[in-house]
Amino acid sequence: MKVDMTTPKHTPLYQKHLDLGARMVEFASYYMPVQYSGILDEHKCVRENAGIFDVSHMGEIFVSGEDALDLLQLLVPQDVEKLSANRAVYAQLTNENGGIIDDLIIYRLADEIFLLVVNASRIKEDLAWIEQNVQREKFKVTVDNQSENFSLLALQGPKAAEIVTELGLPEEEHPEYFSFIEKNLFGHDLFISRTGYTGEDGFEIMVKNDFAPQLWDKILEAGGKYNIKPIGLGARDTLRLEAALLLYGNDMDESVTPIEAGLAWSVSKSKTHNYNGKHVIKQHLENKPAKRLVGFVMLDKAIARHGYEVYNNERQIGVVTSGGVSPTLGVNIGLAYIDDLLKIDDEISIKIRDKFFKAHITKRPFIQKVNKIVK
Amino acid sequence: MSFEIPEGLLCTKTHECVYQQDGTYFITITDFAVEQLGDVVFVELPEAGTEFAAEEVFGTIESVKAASELYAPVGFKVLEVNDGLVAQPELLNKDPYADGWLLKVELTDVSELDTLLEYDDYKTEVH
Repeated sequence: MKVDMTTPKHTPLYQKHLDLGARMVEFASYYMPVQYSGILDEHKCVRENAGIFDVSHMGEIFVSGEDALDLLQLLVPQDVEKLSANRAVYAQLTNENGGIIDDLIIYRLADEIFLLVVNASRIKEDLAWIEQNVQREKFKVTVDNQSENFSLLALQGPKAAEIVTELGLPEEEHPEYFSFIEKNLFGHDLFISRTGYTGEDGFEIMVKNDFAPQLWDKILEAGGKYNIKPIGLGARDTLRLEAALLLYGNDMDESVTPIEAGLAWSVSKSKTHNYNGKHVIKQHLENKPAKRLVGFVMLDKAIARHGYEVYNNERQIGVVTSGGVSPTLGVNIGLAYIDDLLKIDDEISIKIRDKFFKAHITKRPFIQKVNKIVK
Repeated sequence: MSFEIPEGLLCTKTHECVYQQDGTYFITITDFAVEQLGDVVFVELPEAGTEFAAEEVFGTIESVKAASELYAPVGFKVLEVNDGLVAQPELLNKDPYADGWLLKVELTDVSELDTLLEYDDYKTEVH
């Protein structure tokens, strides 16, 4: 019998987290900080000032070569051809049934060079799927998994732009929303994108591992006067839930299409190029799918969690995929797949520890983007 | 954070504990458990008068992260619920042995206390 003896890996910032007194947990085969000062405090800090996150566990896969664009067109429902250089797009890797293998951000570095930033827990599956498509179509591409060599730091919050300026990137060089620039700062090449996972303005900075600890310190130093704080996975989850951003494995997986997951906005309606699962996804676009993801707010005092059953008139109509507190709104919120076409404001009930608690369906995101990006 | 540990505190491996003050028994959870839970945002406790046997679920504590069930460390009847804590669950983070207590109880059988761990032994077990 083969025994899995792998122990969790350390990101290059592991020691920084320990020094800052973070509580560490195992997540996607890495030791990651779940919280430093406390989830509620960190959450508030990102909404009001700025926070820095170590997201080095995430995967970075470079795809290049003369068939790189054709490969990506086959892999995702987004129309990658429309993506110009130095811009990024949110997309999903779909299987033949339109199910979501992973969600990712595609960055176009040049005509034939792309960077895919993918979920840490899905790197292996993504690579296998990409490789399978390359083989099948005999594409001339190089797929280069650099996940172990690059670190990723996320700087998020209304003060993020000022901190980036403070760090040495003049405001006129700041990338626009879903764009990026490559810039040499402190003698190191940084890849700075205007993306994130909190519902706030912010940046994600990719850098070679050896410079990551120094960059972490420099960002904390530059953000000092803006009351920046290090933020753990706990607050990352409450922030993304308030912004109704989906979490792979909780809110979506291979059993749902991007349309069912409420991601129709990230599916190109005019794309002529074929892609995996297109027939199913097109069908879901044209005729509403039997189930769909909705947002809800608890009316009774209780917290819904992943896996709890959703009812309407004593009939089970779905299941909660994410749920928790909304520190900003002071209510309990969640996401659920339901198989009824209920409308906004309709009441549902959620079974929590064998009792029923009222909730109502609401618009997503739960919070409006308070800190709009100017450009 | 350091808390004043009540004298004679007895604990379960699942982090519930019992202590006595002025002749009354209090039920709460340990400071170690509170620290592990992080921000407590919701507590669900039974009504006064309810009785529980040892190891029965008597309530739930929700932190930002997750829900955790509470198991009766010994058999008891609820005398009083800490309404202040229900209104302000964060009191548990501030001090589980002071304003953050959960229940005042009457023990069903005082000899059941012998099954519990002394605080020092509990700490060795869980750390």
